[in-house]
Amino acid sequence: MKLTRRSMLAGATTLAAPAVARAATLDISFFFPIAASGPITKIINGYAQDFAKERPDVRIKPVYAGSYDDTIAKAITAFKGGHAPPLAMLGAIQVYTLIDLGAIVPFDEVATSAEDKAWMNSFFPAFLANGNVDGHTWSIPFQRSTAVLYWNKAAFKEVGLDPEKPPASWEEQTAMAKKLVRKSGSETTRWGIQIPGTGGTYWLYQGLAIEAGQQLMNKNGTEAYFNKPGSVAALDYWVGLSRQGVQAPGVIDWGVTPNDFIAGRTAMMWTTTGNLTFVRDGAKFPFGVAMLPADKQRGTPTGGANFHIFKTATQAEREASLAFVKWVTSPERAAAWSIATGYVATRPDAWATDVMKKYVAGFPQAQVARDQLPYALPELSTHANQQVTLPLNSALQAALARSKTPKAALDEAQAIADRVLGPYKRG
Amino acid sequence: MRRWGLEALGAWLLGAMWILPLAWALWSAIHPPSSTQSFGLFSPLTLRNFATAWGMAPFGRSMVNTVVLVSIVLAAQFVLCTPAAFAFARLRFPGRDFVFAIVLVQLMVAPEVLMVENFRTIGALDLVNSLFGIALPYLGSAFGIFLLRQAFRTVPEELDAAARIEGLSLRQRLWKLYLPMARPTYIAYGLVLVSFHWNNFLWPLVITNSVGIRPITVQLAMFSTTDQGTNWSIITAATLLSTAPLVIAFLLFQRQFVQSFMRARAQ
Repeated sequence: MKLTRRSMLAGATTLAAPAVARAATLDISFFFPIAASGPITKIINGYAQDFAKERPDVRIKPVYAGSYDDTIAKAITAFKGGHAPPLAMLGAIQVYTLIDLGAIVPFDEVATSAEDKAWMNSFFPAFLANGNVDGHTWSIPFQRSTAVLYWNKAAFKEVGLDPEKPPASWEEQTAMAKKLVRKSGSETTRWGIQIPGTGGTYWLYQGLAIEAGQQLMNKNGTEAYFNKPGSVAALDYWVGLSRQGVQAPGVIDWGVTPNDFIAGRTAMMWTTTGNLTFVRDGAKFPFGVAMLPADKQRGTPTGGANFHIFKTATQAEREASLAFVKWVTSPERAAAWSIATGYVATRPDAWATDVMKKYVAGFPQAQVARDQLPYALPELSTHANQQVTLPLNSALQAALARSKTPKAALDEAQAIADRVLGPYKRG
Repeated sequence: MRRWGLEALGAWLLGAMWILPLAWALWSAIHPPSSTQSFGLFSPLTLRNFATAWGMAPFGRSMVNTVVLVSIVLAAQFVLCTPAAFAFARLRFPGRDFVFAIVLVQLMVAPEVLMVENFRTIGALDLVNSLFGIALPYLGSAFGIFLLRQAFRTVPEELDAAARIEGLSLRQRLWKLYLPMARPTYIAYGLVLVSFHWNNFLWPLVITNSVGIRPITVQLAMFSTTDQGTNWSIITAATLLSTAPLVIAFLLFQRQFVQSFMRARAQ
């Protein structure tokens, strides 16, 4: 019982401390997720400390809140429980969920000066796209990524392919993958390509769909397009890679794929730009990074998290949050964050900074993500997002496991999505 | 004799299945990332993964938090569930079965459903971001009451009557007769409770904000890296670090634990 009382007292003092400090400074607690390895917490805490030098009247208090899913759960619980933070970094696809809850305020209502407007337009449009709903900018991009293709140059050379020429189209990709497969007896020791089907599951599939000319949802997040001809063609191609024996059968694990690549068990892989550092540190062979190959066009979804300001924040808290977001997304800091973490710097002028130019000169692979951005479309995000993406994920995995045909699986997912989105469509 | 051989084989198989994940975790924790999935006998060994994992989060502090948290919950549940279980098992009062049914209903409710309500309550008590705030919703337990009630009911009525004739008070009977008889159940229940609260994640994450207060599981979640490939070496090293106290405790007291489980089941 003694322990209990003591921790109760401890709880009371931690709660009392901010109340005392508030007289001098404004505390802004800020939820952020960790979805990448490396000292993310230290970097974010460092930003908070550096910002205090610029704005001594504001104290940013970063609160690490788990994975993307954990962070949104924590933020929504806190919001419903009346303890929402003023500022949070949340998955960019959560925008409709947050709007429908009435939880967030658009940035354009907080950032109103002409200079602010210019700042909001300084990001790559592809990264702003997820947060642009109903003519408002609901979020500001920060830790963002896209999907790219990695290829093993040594393996290319070994089978007589030009090691400097990655596949540019789906047909080329299949043809090269066929050459790259290596067998010992009946066992495959190296696959031609791996497109993993866990993790986000739909994320890389969305890349295929975009390349086949089909975005998976409309701009208002009220319609899903899972069984259009392009969507079906994309899944046909994906499943076909396994059927032709150039990709391991079944659902390939997202987390293991980069390990397979650096261990030489697959000659090509699709994964996020975020894996650059991991592959660079682990691969004992020269490797290249390329844009995803095209079917009808090039294409990739974006991924990652954006800044959101909560509606419950006071005027002063909103202003302070905005000041921090503007400060931390400045070109120099966006460049430094990108170099430290492997995320894609979110604005063109960040790529023009000296540090970034120097970094790219030594590590040209990092630039591919930027060059691909003109072809990037927003990540799948709709109203009732969870209920719409879950049936799609099940459909994709069922098709990969060959328990359903791509068309049948996607038809089912479409039917569920239509039912869920019906009320939002009628608006 | 042949039957015994089959049983032994089955036991070894089950044992191997149980130990395999742990063995793999150990393997990949002491090797660099490039050789976590190829089991070359002469792959380079390293302890760097442990150092890296340890440096990424304040594990020491979190470990202390977890131990304190689990101790609070364990002590409170033993103290609160015992009299309740005893009342349901041996006392007669109007509405007893109805009240017990209500307690049982709580077993059906997933804790996640109550998260927002719990958050509101803890917020109203000004206990957000405190160890006691994490513990508070778990101080009582329908599972504990149910388990102990079943154990108390197995104590023969004759023994109870004899103790009463000896002139023992209600409290003395509970202390000298029921508690010793239910000891195996307490140990088994305590073990389940400790491992549940050691592993509990979502609620502690939601209700705390400061690194200094958070338990070990919340720090561990830092290694789920969906935006990148998974560095299994670091994850397994961190997992081993955070489960080490439990595993070591279990190995030390293994004999007692197994015996308690056997006796609790025999009852």
